[in-house]
Amino acid sequence: MEFFIQQLINGITLGAVYALIALGYTMVYGIIQLINFAHGEFFAAGGYMGVILISYLAAQGLHPYACLGISLVLSMGYCALLAMAVEQLAYKPLRQASRLAALLSALGMSIFLQNGLMLTQGVYDKPYPTEITAGGFEWGLISVSYMQIFIVGLTAVLLVALNILVFKTRIGRAMRATSQDKVMAALVGINSNRVIATTFAIGAALAAAAGIMVGLYYGSVNYSMGFVPGIKAFAAAVLGGIGNITGALIGGLIIGMVEIFAAGYISGEYKDVFAFVILIGVLYFRPTGIMGENVDDTRV
Amino acid sequence: MKRLLALIAALAVMTMVLTGCGEEKAAEKVLKIGTMSPLTGPYAADGNDIRQGAEIAIEVIKEQGGIEGFDDIQIFPQDTACDPKQAVAAANKLINDEVTGVVGAYCSSSTIPASETLAEENIIMLTPASTSPKVTERGLTNMFRTCGRDDHQAPAAVKFMKDVAGVKSIFIVDDKTTYSQGLAEGVAAAATAAGIEVKEHDHVNQGDKDYSAVLTKVKAANPDLFYISLQNSATGALMMIQAKRMGVDAILMGQDAVYHPKLVEIAKSAAEGAFCTFGAIDKDAEAFKTFVSKYKAKSGNEPGAYSAYAFDSAMAYLLAVKAAGTTDAAKVRAEILKLDFTGASKQVSYQENGDSGSNYTVYQVKDGKFVPYWNSLSGEKY
Repeated sequence: MEFFIQQLINGITLGAVYALIALGYTMVYGIIQLINFAHGEFFAAGGYMGVILISYLAAQGLHPYACLGISLVLSMGYCALLAMAVEQLAYKPLRQASRLAALLSALGMSIFLQNGLMLTQGVYDKPYPTEITAGGFEWGLISVSYMQIFIVGLTAVLLVALNILVFKTRIGRAMRATSQDKVMAALVGINSNRVIATTFAIGAALAAAAGIMVGLYYGSVNYSMGFVPGIKAFAAAVLGGIGNITGALIGGLIIGMVEIFAAGYISGEYKDVFAFVILIGVLYFRPTGIMGENVDDTRV
Repeated sequence: MKRLLALIAALAVMTMVLTGCGEEKAAEKVLKIGTMSPLTGPYAADGNDIRQGAEIAIEVIKEQGGIEGFDDIQIFPQDTACDPKQAVAAANKLINDEVTGVVGAYCSSSTIPASETLAEENIIMLTPASTSPKVTERGLTNMFRTCGRDDHQAPAAVKFMKDVAGVKSIFIVDDKTTYSQGLAEGVAAAATAAGIEVKEHDHVNQGDKDYSAVLTKVKAANPDLFYISLQNSATGALMMIQAKRMGVDAILMGQDAVYHPKLVEIAKSAAEGAFCTFGAIDKDAEAFKTFVSKYKAKSGNEPGAYSAYAFDSAMAYLLAVKAAGTTDAAKVRAEILKLDFTGASKQVSYQENGDSGSNYTVYQVKDGKFVPYWNSLSGEKY
């Protein structure tokens, strides 16, 4: 039982990270039907920016939590700008082109950003100052670290904030309108370019937060760290129903849990197999994912 | 028809131009050496260690006046990304570049297929880091190994567990590469034979960062020692950090791929007290100190785990070419087998099958440094 509870806690933590990354995929897909393969790279860039800022601020003698908070906000801002630049450069010129062209552009951008990170930051892993958030609770065999609580807590806060943004604000309404019908939305005076740029920015900011948390939780960041979680988060977004925010959360948690339980009860080598078997199984019965809406052919 | 004639004419002109260039260059005789190691991907750190080690060797030889009969020595670094397919492609590129000797690769799963491609063209290959026994057991006359072998490393590790650490049960984890899984299986077999209980032998995937599931298993199994056979030091560091955080109190032990200055830098206090097996390198020896100072001056970094072996591999090839006065593979091989020189890593001499012997030592992380703890050859503590 203790073993099960511990694995459940592990699964929720991992799922929360996947969910945060998946949100970026799902929002971008929802609005321009593009699978943004460069999204994993925003996650990595956020992780790097975080460690650079934390080390810099700590050297200035700031309190560790202040360092963490400021770095989190600044890194999210940095990645938001980076994503807007990528969108301007690589996706906007291709908006009228075929979807395949944009997809290839995204793949190219991913390779470009990853190698850019490698060339500027080096090939070695960069250590994170894990001592900031060391410690945790223990009950017998079960241990919960502060970092796990922090990850789940921050994910919850960011999700609530995102929901408010999308469903309660003007820009959120504009985003929903643009995702439903770009032309109609433009006709009623919505600047779709600005809305799309905002969507990219928000998604990348969430990925940056995930990058910092992963760095703190696991202890280091690496230039290629975006690739594997990127694929998993993409799977999570598809599983939950791509284009749907709640779906991304559910998908992330499912993929995280399945991975942990497969590794815990069967073997670590099969965990990815199970994660993707679940994905295929769900898509077989519900092609639009768990929370996905029915495919509407009348959409432009 | 006219077009065909034009094409032939163009080709003829091009051939003339190309051969013209060739003749001009023939005046300068260049000794070309390739390196193969993962310069991108998760093992890029180790790959760059190897490339830089080989570069230093060439620099040293050049400082000593170069090699008679050659006007220049050039290095052609190739990226294998620790991927067998890319390793073969890299080998083919080096063949096109007309290299005569190759230092590499890092991952055994790259070295094995690449060496077969290089063997077809009679190109000498010296691996500084591939420890899988298979590397030198295929009867290839072009294959040499400057580091140790896993079928020596595994018994050395188990001997340490039983005789020195007094361990009764172990939990093994590997990440399923030719090297890491082969070594882990060797340790499992040797441990069972030595009467140590192997509680479980589990696997993780390359590229994983989250080891919480497998570590929960380790905690529940409560072994005396947790043996970590991963393909590089960064993942080893992540495993140790998470193990300490989960409250795993078993002794942590890694192998030669986990042994790297970066392990301590990333894992910090989590690595404190952990053991690793690695070749015995005398860090006070003159040869090693000279190598380190040159390495730091060139790259600005401390040498990595396998830098010294890469240096010695390149050195062995250069010295053999110098002695043979030619790059002819058969003659160079004969000279390599005659070698016996003090390298940065050890006293280097090769046996008929290409091996150079193992001298595994157990190191312990103490105050952020790897300190020699126990020598497997003498069976004594330092």
